Amino acid sequence: MEPWQAELGRSRFDAAWDLFLDRYRRLIFSAIRHYAQDYDDVMDVFAHVCEALREDDLRRLRAYLQQPVHHARFSTWLVTVVRHNTVDWFRHRDGRRRLTTVAKDLPPLRRRIFEHVFLHKRSHVEAYELMRSADCIDVSFGEFLVEVSATYRAVADGRRGRILRELGGPTPPLTADEDASPEPTVSERREELERALGSLSAEERVAVELYVMEEMPAESVAKVVGWPNAKAVYNRVYRALDLMRRRLEPHV
Amino acid sequence: MSLDRLRRNFHTGDIPLPTGECLDPELVAALAEGSLQADARARALRHVAGCASCRRAVASVADALADGPITHEIEVIDGRRRRTGRVLRTAAPWAAAATILLLLWSPAGDDPATHRAGDGAGQSPVPRGPVGMVADARVFDWSRVPGSDLYRVTVFNAAGAVIYETQGSDTTLALPDSVRLEDRQPYLWKVQARTGWDRWTSSELVEFTIARAPPK
Repeated sequence: MEPWQAELGRSRFDAAWDLFLDRYRRLIFSAIRHYAQDYDDVMDVFAHVCEALREDDLRRLRAYLQQPVHHARFSTWLVTVVRHNTVDWFRHRDGRRRLTTVAKDLPPLRRRIFEHVFLHKRSHVEAYELMRSADCIDVSFGEFLVEVSATYRAVADGRRGRILRELGGPTPPLTADEDASPEPTVSERREELERALGSLSAEERVAVELYVMEEMPAESVAKVVGWPNAKAVYNRVYRALDLMRRRLEPHV
Repeated sequence: MSLDRLRRNFHTGDIPLPTGECLDPELVAALAEGSLQADARARALRHVAGCASCRRAVASVADALADGPITHEIEVIDGRRRRTGRVLRTAAPWAAAATILLLLWSPAGDDPATHRAGDGAGQSPVPRGPVGMVADARVFDWSRVPGSDLYRVTVFNAAGAVIYETQGSDTTLALPDSVRLEDRQPYLWKVQARTGWDRWTSSELVEFTIARAPPK
């Protein structure tokens, strides 16, 4: 048992906290810096994480320790908690702001896309609809997606790239040859995709989504879904995609 | 069909937001590190298959676990790696720098407020990291000195020039991005703790060098 856990067991919360922070401060900072690079952001998020972990006499830490079975290492659990708190902090902070410094450098159309997608959490289709009605933009959905991709690239290339990916969802692929599909076709396509994905087993669907959409390395996907190695991921994902392609043939 | 074209067809642009039914952090962590038992994993995957927010969380944590500085810290915590080199290793190239630093430290130098005696005598702060060869050096960490309310950190380059100095009440410092540290270049740093009015106690000078893992 680690010293901080022993102190926590004796309900000496301040002492437990000091020992805990001595041991895990560097890991917490490393995890925060994975998502945020600005010095002020890092320090603010660190304070937010500490506050969350320390509240109610270290309730989260006590709850973790009281579980009879642990599925993950404590350090991985801590990285996950820090990730969640970091994303929450940015969501809360950026949600209140009209425009972040990132968006200031963008052309007007991309700035509006940034506001809709990253700040107001709207899907691309919703953003397109809103901008077409409220801003009177006169572009096809395909052209709009080109602008969305460019907006993602612009913000992801910056120092806040990782956290913006967390806030804005997966980056859309380049759409140079995108057909100018209007919104109803997109909705229909999504429904078809949902049906095709629904035909896969849960682990196949997770593997396909993580490998294709999240662009996770095959080795990491194998760990998540419990397959033996990357080769199994390639084989099974491509087999699943082939199955889906046949179902979607008229739509892609 | 290319993977990019598939991605385009898969991409909905929906922003995944967590719900009350989302996996708790431990299950996300266990999925990301691949440590769930088969039955628990099957249950968790059934949720993840339909939850974009949890998929994002799992992908995000897996990505974080592959990040060099995080991997390094976890290895240190697990005892698979040590933070080494608490004692400054002297070498010929350091002689000039050490001389300069001794001058910088002298009581008649640029810091007349520094005194070695006082409440903190015998309780100097101890630099914990970065020390020795490190994967990254964006965060500086040292031991707390009882009764101290202010710490001053000074970072020197190999030539003995001060490249960064700051003060604060915490025992951790995140280096601002404006301070760029180069790979495989030796640096030195020290921390002073204020132990009373006009009284400071200083750590030893420690060396570190950044040796980042080559990109895969």
